[in-house]
Amino acid sequence: MIPSLQKDLEATFKGVEVTVVEDSRMSVLAPRDSIPVVLRYLKESGLDHLALLSCVDWIKEGKFEVVYVLTCYMRNDTDYTSDQRLHVLLKTEIPREKPALKSVIDIFENAEPYEREIHELYGVHFDGHPRLIPLLLERDYEIPPFRKDFDTRKYVEETFGSIPPVEG
Amino acid sequence: MDRNQIAKWLKSPAKMANKYSLHAVYFCTGCGIIEIPPVITTRWDAERFGIIPVATPRQGNLFMITGYVSLKTLKAIIRTYEQMPDPKYTVGFGSCPINGGMYWDSYNTIKHLDRYIPVDGWIAGCMPRPEAVFIAITHLWTLIDKGKADGYLRYQENYAAYRRNQEMLFAELEWPPLYPCDSIAEEARK
Ligand code: SF4
Repeated sequence: MIPSLQKDLEATFKGVEVTVVEDSRMSVLAPRDSIPVVLRYLKESGLDHLALLSCVDWIKEGKFEVVYVLTCYMRNDTDYTSDQRLHVLLKTEIPREKPALKSVIDIFENAEPYEREIHELYGVHFDGHPRLIPLLLERDYEIPPFRKDFDTRKYVEETFGSIPPVEG
Repeated sequence: MDRNQIAKWLKSPAKMANKYSLHAVYFCTGCGIIEIPPVITTRWDAERFGIIPVATPRQGNLFMITGYVSLKTLKAIIRTYEQMPDPKYTVGFGSCPINGGMYWDSYNTIKHLDRYIPVDGWIAGCMPRPEAVFIAITHLWTLIDKGKADGYLRYQENYAAYRRNQEMLFAELEWPPLYPCDSIAEEARK
């Protein structure tokens, strides 16, 4: 399954780099604009479960890497032992300045909370997301707290360290 | 009933009744809550000590904060605490509410719980065992006996300071002050 998928991907899309990590696992690096089409293509090829959406801050290169982790649902018990098992990491790189991506909610509906989370923790904007409001955090952070240039110690000192004890 | 305690019962029945029927608010935060099911069920059976978990804060008088407190949780904790009827007792469970524990430099968890709500006692450990809960409860009994478990009174007394600390973290608190006081937001409006 993987070799044919690799061939198909490389033949269909321009600028897509495929690395086969293991027998049933591969990593796909795609340009930012082709993410929705590649994602849709992968979904139609059987990777119908978006397990996770995550982000890496490569501060020295000045890039964010957004990772879509895709797997497929097992339909029969026998699938677990067959070579139907697939695991695809779809990655894309976007600049750290004004990072933005197209939302993929119309392909995978469960991307909604993941995109909100990445928006609040890394400050990546998702075009077309219906409500990019904070998901977990309660305060406003000047720099989104998961970026590498967010100084946690300093922030903690200033915020929680400045609160005086009430008694004694 | 312990015969030695009859004098105490006659002297202040309300206090004794309070002491032996602690109703714990079933409020879970952090990892420590994993120790609470064994505490209240057959293995350690907290009812031997008169402790029973209740569903709403309006029926409870014991509030155990069982772990690290994120900002969102702190908001819920303050609201829950303010809804409990007096007299009420708070116990911080685990090192995280005491001083931040292993989350001492986290961007989203507070460090010292007693700067936002009054705390009557602490159980140290990461995480404490169920036995420690019962040791804490017997200590709490002693404190109640001596009138030293007075967190709810301290809250009334120092409410302005508590409220100020709460407002330093949350720019907008959605509820008005529990006791009359000059809050930061009020001052800013003036
Ligand atoms: S004290 Fe330890 S067990 Fe308790 S909430 Fe903190 S890290 Fe978790």
